[in-house]
Amino acid sequence: MTTNTASNAAAADGLRQTARTGGTSVSLQDLSRSFGTTRALDGLSLEIAPGELVALLGPSGCGKTTALRIVAGFESADTGSVLVDGKDISSVSAARRDMGMVFQSYSLFPNMNALDNVAFGLRMRKQGSAQRRKRAGELLDMVGLVQQAQQFPHQLSGGQQQRVALARALAIEPRVLLLDEPLSALDAKVRLQLREQIRTLQQRLGTTTMFVTHDQEEALSMADRVGVMRQGKLEQIAAPDVLYDDPATAFVAEFVGVMNRIHAELQPDGMVTALGSTVPVKGDSACDLGAGAVDMLVRPEGLAMAVIENGNGIVTTRTFLGSVTGVAVLLSGEVTVQIDKPSTEAAALAPGTSVSVTLPAEPVLVAPRQ
Amino acid sequence: MATVARQGGLGGKVPPQDRAGPGGSPPGSKQPRRRSFPVWRWAILLIAGVFFLIPLYAGLRFAGLKAFGEVFTYPGFGSAVGLSLRLAVITTILTLVLMVPTTVYVHLRLPQIRRTMEGITILPIVIPPIVLIIGVLKVAPWFLLGTPYLLALVYVILAMPFAYRSLDAGLRAFDLKTMVEASNSLGAGWPTTLWRVVLPNIRTAMLSATVLTVALVLGEFTMASLALYETFPVWIVQFEQNAGPVTTAASLLALFVTWILLMLIVTVGSRSARKRGGAQVALFTVAAPQESSQTTGEPE
Repeated sequence: MTTNTASNAAAADGLRQTARTGGTSVSLQDLSRSFGTTRALDGLSLEIAPGELVALLGPSGCGKTTALRIVAGFESADTGSVLVDGKDISSVSAARRDMGMVFQSYSLFPNMNALDNVAFGLRMRKQGSAQRRKRAGELLDMVGLVQQAQQFPHQLSGGQQQRVALARALAIEPRVLLLDEPLSALDAKVRLQLREQIRTLQQRLGTTTMFVTHDQEEALSMADRVGVMRQGKLEQIAAPDVLYDDPATAFVAEFVGVMNRIHAELQPDGMVTALGSTVPVKGDSACDLGAGAVDMLVRPEGLAMAVIENGNGIVTTRTFLGSVTGVAVLLSGEVTVQIDKPSTEAAALAPGTSVSVTLPAEPVLVAPRQ
Repeated sequence: MATVARQGGLGGKVPPQDRAGPGGSPPGSKQPRRRSFPVWRWAILLIAGVFFLIPLYAGLRFAGLKAFGEVFTYPGFGSAVGLSLRLAVITTILTLVLMVPTTVYVHLRLPQIRRTMEGITILPIVIPPIVLIIGVLKVAPWFLLGTPYLLALVYVILAMPFAYRSLDAGLRAFDLKTMVEASNSLGAGWPTTLWRVVLPNIRTAMLSATVLTVALVLGEFTMASLALYETFPVWIVQFEQNAGPVTTAASLLALFVTWILLMLIVTVGSRSARKRGGAQVALFTVAAPQESSQTTGEPE
């Protein structure tokens, strides 16, 4: 892939010149959709700015794929509408929506070689044979697969197939690019490479993109904004760093990244006490909770730890993760927390070591006691 | 006491059993392995072969080589073969035109009724042909009576079980839903998607549906005879009395021609399928080779 970078860049720039100027905005307005008794979408609203890559992240069955399929035109919403550049497209068929889609399962047409697959959308747009071959060639060059142009899907690896599928989706200069977990069938290394490739291409072409995934790392690393979904609703949508540092709800906090739950006591004045110190509660997470037993949510890097005799915790295990080491500490009350330490410092923390764990000074999230 | 003795007895028996097992022979001993399975395989093949070939051989002996030459000049042969071929063509076209869109539709939109479809399509095999044809003759509209189209329509029903099963297996062998959606999202409407994406990928299944339909039409006797059509099988039976050797030669010819046709289609189908990485063509494809590798989407 790296050897082709220069030509890829040239091909992409050429494409950008021909691409629509201005980009396309997408607006999902109050979408609801039920399958039988299951409510897949429950009033989902989402605005995507021109050229933006928005990831929808959530557990299985949260409705993210349904949302994408409604935008693509493969499903229809019970209520609500989808606006593209301000126009309601609910009554437009999938074939006329001008949206490029990459699917989770391999979707190349088995009866066509890579080049013909990429050229298919252009053929549907009545482009001449020479013109569409040339353009399909450029697209294949862009994803670094010009050598494989004549190969059939079964001769390509999974990663190659998804790259051809991406080229095929981009060939039609789609107004919106829809990615439905395109990487989840691939192995870890290929997934990482393709992740970067998709993001680079998307930024160069400036195509408005909606990306569905259940992999938080994927969402955080690729998207301009990540929308976390739960039970058919958008729980929070924000830039990846905001989502991680300042999660709006306990669900988001625990779904994105690692989160420790520590037994705590909510005070009537809105402060919360745990591990011998009292800190303010962040946002309105304590709103629905009465004073009393709650759980406090703290990131592994948010907790401080020092080796001390008769501390409030005992190191149980150490997990080497490269530059950092995850240290599991058993607190009183049979609660285990994970604390990340630079691996050089973690050497002193053998299992059985007594430590003292202290809270950060900044406000923390609280959630009902589990 | 007794228990102990029995245990001892068992213990005594174990070593010989052990020795007979695959790991029992000492390393380095080069005893030839008993190859009982291939022998049985050959025996079964031989028995089956004899069972099928004896009638053929008897037929050949009875007809004699001369009769094969006379077949073509015999009265009624040309028109009977002509009618049968016409019926084969009409039936095949009708079957494909009816069954391909139906099966595709069931797979895409109504996968829950696939079992029901299987049940329904088996009915023509279960219902005796006599019952079927008498019923059809009673209710057939006047303008169809006596035309080959009437018989062709009945044959479409007869061919349905075979056609449905072939097409069903063909459609299960690739991810139809994703292919259709990919095609739609690239701007292809329904007719184009069917023509450029679906049909090329079930070509083999369509071929086997065609082969089975043709074979069925060329061999069907009961209905044609009851409805007073002189198709090729009917002609053979009619002339059997006064021109035995000739009709025997004719039926042998029909057998060989059909067989060669089937082999041809299977060979050609397999070759083109292999080029695209598809599975070997079988007349009855039951398993769906790629189904297990498909990633199942979330049940959203």
